[in-house]
Amino acid sequence: MSFDFLPRYYTFYLTGLKMTIILAFFAVIFGLVIGLVFALMKLSHFGLLRGISTAYINFIRGTPLMVQLYISYYGLPALLGLQLPDMFAGVIALAINSGAYVAEIIRAGIQAVDKGQMEAARSLGLTKTQAMTNVIIPQAVKNILPALGNEFIVLTKDSSVASVIGIHELMYNADTVRGNTFLPFSPLIIAAVLYFLLSYVLTKILGRMERRLKAGD
Amino acid sequence: MIKVRNLRKSFGGLEVIKGVDFEIKKGEVVVIIGPSGSGKSTFLRCLNRLEEPDGGEIIFEGDSITGKDTDINKLREKIGMVFQLFNLFNNLTVLDNITLALRKVKKMSDAEAKQTAAAMLKRIGLENKAGAFPSQLSGGQKQRVAIVRALAMEPDVMLFDEATSALDPEMVGEVLDFMKELCNEGMTIIAVTHEMGFAKEVATRVIFFDEGKIIEENSPKELFENPQNERTKLFLSKVL
Repeated sequence: MSFDFLPRYYTFYLTGLKMTIILAFFAVIFGLVIGLVFALMKLSHFGLLRGISTAYINFIRGTPLMVQLYISYYGLPALLGLQLPDMFAGVIALAINSGAYVAEIIRAGIQAVDKGQMEAARSLGLTKTQAMTNVIIPQAVKNILPALGNEFIVLTKDSSVASVIGIHELMYNADTVRGNTFLPFSPLIIAAVLYFLLSYVLTKILGRMERRLKAGD
Repeated sequence: MIKVRNLRKSFGGLEVIKGVDFEIKKGEVVVIIGPSGSGKSTFLRCLNRLEEPDGGEIIFEGDSITGKDTDINKLREKIGMVFQLFNLFNNLTVLDNITLALRKVKKMSDAEAKQTAAAMLKRIGLENKAGAFPSQLSGGQKQRVAIVRALAMEPDVMLFDEATSALDPEMVGEVLDFMKELCNEGMTIIAVTHEMGFAKEVATRVIFFDEGKIIEENSPKELFENPQNERTKLFLSKVL
């Protein structure tokens, strides 16, 4: 196995990696927001909100990410009647996908907070929203951080699927290198190593955040 | 101060409060005793609507509080509650546990809330624990903080839901002593408890609760020494 192609092609990897990071970053942020909204909807007293949230989560979890990507890529422009950048379709699909899993993680995290905490807050005259923001959600964050970190890492790796809609991220560029060099295998090793390093750094950062939050116990 | 008429509450078809009439006046200390599962805790939790009653009426300081348009949060400011499992906010320091509702509900400034909280902690001798988290306190300390957290809101009545049941035996005393102190200061109190000594010592009235109803109520002396109802006698013979 030879890596002689690297001096000529390393920029492909760097721009690909940059694109992967941008893609994953925005997908994580939007996924988190979407997840929080749907988690709160699922915990709502209103049956309609609960129903919408359940339907969304079931649909997303029951269909492959690649199908969702294609739907976003071909469906969104048709729906909105305007041409969107590939990146936009990619971020939307990944965020909506991740949001479903994040919603379940957050819901479980909120429900894991002892219900006495809510009762004590309400007994002091705090509104439900005040109790949620000041007491329940801060404790839920601590509960969900490990699972959420896991989801972020999965999402970062799954962003490689976005290569199918032509986003020039790491996987797409690794494929380009394979085509240009007629090497079927070794360009993929480089991509794998970069994905691994990215996940590893992310794991370390999240581990540090977890430890910091634990300081309060 | 609180008047209850024909209160009813069911959980999934099982009726746990079967038409309770009750009244408490300012300055009274009412102790509710009874076997577990008799509905006494549920009754207490109905009074600040942590449990939503299914029927009947609760009148607090002249206003019905069981109506749909009652501002329940306004009302809960005036009704302090202490729980069996303390329920201190685990994510907040001892000081912030006390200041949270002062700031958010009473709309005090940060400085004012801190001052009030510090005075409360001083009262229970825990001023050095202001920056500690609940997990760093003993059970007795947690419960005393929980009591001053409720007291800081300057409630008109305090509800104690088996406040000493989850404590190690050696810590029961410090919490009971503090509760007695409040009684002696004239605080209006409704306490569900298994501490018969407490009932005898400070209660102005003792209520025996069984199967979702008030079976008997009297002064502690009368109720403990001369119970009228067979079920009261049976219960007292087991616990005394």
